[in-house]
Amino acid sequence: MDLSYEVKDSYAEITAAGRLNMVSAPKLRELVAEVVAAGTSRIVINLEETAFMDSSGLGALIGCLKAARQAGGDLRIARVQPQVQMVLGLTSMDKVLTSYSSAAEAFGDD
Amino acid sequence: MTDVLARRTLRQMALPEAIEAVHTELDGLWEDASFVPDMDRMTFATAVIEAASNVVQHAVPESTMPVEIGVDISVTPVRLEARVSAFGAASPDPIDTDPAMPDGEAESGRGLALIRALVTTVTFKRQDGTNTWILSKSPLHD
Repeated sequence: MDLSYEVKDSYAEITAAGRLNMVSAPKLRELVAEVVAAGTSRIVINLEETAFMDSSGLGALIGCLKAARQAGGDLRIARVQPQVQMVLGLTSMDKVLTSYSSAAEAFGDD
Repeated sequence: MTDVLARRTLRQMALPEAIEAVHTELDGLWEDASFVPDMDRMTFATAVIEAASNVVQHAVPESTMPVEIGVDISVTPVRLEARVSAFGAASPDPIDTDPAMPDGEAESGRGLALIRALVTTVTFKRQDGTNTWILSKSPLHD
């Protein structure tokens, strides 16, 4: 998985391309911790190029959500693809991690 | 004996890199069995990766030899089957094969519940020092 991030006006956008599984999940956790430590706790993870996510990847998203909220911000997801949506739905995590149609829209309401 | 139309196997050290190898075998399997609908590929592949990850993360060696993971995936006209094995693994603690899905705060513990939700049958057996998960999905969607 290739991870990169860009700090925008009011949030940071992390782009995750590839498979979010037990191999890449710790890397995502590290990157989010780094972004939060650098002072941005409003984070959008762009999952447009994430073709696959397993429960380890989901666990990382939940951990990252907690880290962002503990720092006073939030973590949202955007551009979710079918397999990831399926995993979110089967685990009922679609109620906790709402998917937005674009990264810009994720924090567009506040 | 039902006709096996496509089959992929691997056996290697139970390290995180093995998960990527399982993904590669699944991709190859779908190339060989292009009639399998996208929805079935997606659900079955997710279950197989969950089972393989379980072996890599949790299997404990029975001796000084490291655990090896084995994956044997086959496609028949009416069924997808995967046998995911931990060779040389100690007998695990009793397994609840039908666990509840953890709540929203939990960061782990969803793997087996997810597997149950994705496939038709899940069985576990231990034989000759090998723990094997057998996952099957049938019938295939039209």
